[in-house]
Amino acid sequence: MTFLTLLAFILIVIASMTILIFRDWRFNAVALAVQYLAAFVLVTRVWPVGMAVIKLIVGWMATTALALTCLRQKRLQTADESTASLIFRGLTGILVVLVIFVIAPILHQKIFLQLDLIILQGGLMLIGMGLMQMGTSSDSYLTIISLLSLLSGFEVIHAGLELSTLLTGLLAIVNLGLSLIGVYFITKTSDETLALIKPEERES
Amino acid sequence: MTLSTPILWIFLPLGIAIVVLSFSQRRFFGIILTSATSFGLALLAHFFPENMIISIGPLNFIFKESLAIFGREVTVAYEVLPFIALIFSMTGLWALFSDLPNVPMTFRPISLMITSLMTASFGVEPFLYAALLIETAVLLSIPMLSPMGKQPHAGILRYLTLQTLAMPFILLAGWLLTGVEALPLDSPLVLQSALVLGLGLALLLAVFPFHSWVPMVSQRSNPLVVSFLLFIMPTTVLLFSLNFLNRYPFLRETETLFSTLRSVGTLLVAISGALTAIQSNLKRALGFGVLSETGFSLVAIGLAAEGGLTWMLMLFPVRGLSLWLWGMLLTRIEAANDDLSLAGMQGFARRFPMVSFALVLVQFSIVGMPMLGEFPVKLSLLTSLFGSNPILGTWAFIGNLGLVLFSLRLLLSVVSAGKSDPQAKWVRNEKLNEYLPILIMALFLLVIGIFPHALLSNITETLTVFGQLK
Repeated sequence: MTFLTLLAFILIVIASMTILIFRDWRFNAVALAVQYLAAFVLVTRVWPVGMAVIKLIVGWMATTALALTCLRQKRLQTADESTASLIFRGLTGILVVLVIFVIAPILHQKIFLQLDLIILQGGLMLIGMGLMQMGTSSDSYLTIISLLSLLSGFEVIHAGLELSTLLTGLLAIVNLGLSLIGVYFITKTSDETLALIKPEERES
Repeated sequence: MTLSTPILWIFLPLGIAIVVLSFSQRRFFGIILTSATSFGLALLAHFFPENMIISIGPLNFIFKESLAIFGREVTVAYEVLPFIALIFSMTGLWALFSDLPNVPMTFRPISLMITSLMTASFGVEPFLYAALLIETAVLLSIPMLSPMGKQPHAGILRYLTLQTLAMPFILLAGWLLTGVEALPLDSPLVLQSALVLGLGLALLLAVFPFHSWVPMVSQRSNPLVVSFLLFIMPTTVLLFSLNFLNRYPFLRETETLFSTLRSVGTLLVAISGALTAIQSNLKRALGFGVLSETGFSLVAIGLAAEGGLTWMLMLFPVRGLSLWLWGMLLTRIEAANDDLSLAGMQGFARRFPMVSFALVLVQFSIVGMPMLGEFPVKLSLLTSLFGSNPILGTWAFIGNLGLVLFSLRLLLSVVSAGKSDPQAKWVRNEKLNEYLPILIMALFLLVIGIFPHALLSNITETLTVFGQLK
């Protein structure tokens, strides 16, 4: 295991925890971009860099599309959250980390023998955090972020199992499609929020 | 001149759909182009020559079945053309009558795109990549389910989430199945891979307990759009799932798999039937009705040894016509009545007798009442299921009774006089051009019920593409 791989794994844990705990779109966008970078490093262990970089570019494109839409729509901040809810989500994140550390070696031994354990752990971490995020939020923006995280985790694992240009292309379409759906949801939600505010209030 | 069938049935409609999408504000242009393309491709699929050569005057068009893309192949085989004819003709039907209130402008091009993607999902090699095409179709369907100007509701998010979750499971199952082909049947990996595959397909087909999005989406979105989606997606996914049985001998030789399918299908029929019986909203009942249909299809696959696959395919055309009629009627009723609860529908038949008659008829058709479209197939299915396992047969029958109960409640509600006007007289507020297609389709459902084999046997030729499944 190289230092870079270990660093990528640590980055995945930190970034996915950030997405899980915080609801501010700016934190989430940066964390998502870091997450894709770390996933790219893990994929380069099993794929040529030329192919792996597709996942990075697609991931960053998806992140940019979502972040720019949030910026343009002046996405309204969610109400200040209580410290208790932040701690609760942090604890659920730690629970996911612990579960992944327990089940990853078992899965590695019984099913994914050909994969590096660190790649499996990184992929499962993204999937686990994505699922937990989905369970703790009903916001459309966060749902899309969690789906992107989940798919990213699956792609890390699947990269170690199969190398296919068509599959990579189709997964890129799915990732970009998901981010476009996210943009569609954010635009609609923001339009409706603005429509509820009286014109004079909007101007002030 | 050499062409390939994937260009004709995948890329051509995709291109036309993009054109229609570009001019989506031009309603009649969209309706005409989408329905003409769909019906044209359906007719071509129906009359396509087996030698794959079409001669027009001095021109000879020689068609190849496959097209190479990025080192992989997309195939549209001759054997699968009856099914392609069905899905394109249904798409045409939905598009032709889509000039209704509250139907989103994007419905027509997106429906054509979804049909093209579903056709591609049928012929992509390796066939597991179909999961990605299905996911793309799911993503495309979001704008028509949740049109501009409406906030995405919880049902849409749940639909997107659960369908997206299915894709990794299917791809992973494909990898696992390749590895376990050579293993003995009692290896734990065989069970694990079957479970992963089952989970993926259950998510795609909205099998209990992943069904919750279906009534939520059907309640909040336009009925015509929902009925199209709930026809095309499960139908194609069911046929796609046959690939697994066809490809992997250890799956089709495991009796446990078929008995599990029968049990899961019956469970879905029973639960959706029970939940339909207590519904008070017509749009939610549509969702549960579709779930019941999926349950019957699973039962049919579980009865493959008794000819269940033929019955499953024979159900598709009637289901398509019934769902189209159901979706169109609900859209019309929503525009006229606004309130689609049973209480709100009181006295509706006194104002709109034709629409009310057709609505009750189509629900009875889905249930499988005698003389109606689904009766012959449902009767064969229930009889065979009862023969193989009387307990399951009884539960499926009870589940179906739930749908009958809801239809009777609806009938009583629409014919009874409303509380606001207890003396309301019977009048007809419908125009001929509104109820004529409805009546024709209702009559057609009756004709199918009387002559099922004459009208439904063509679709069963699709089974020849699954050479190992008899």
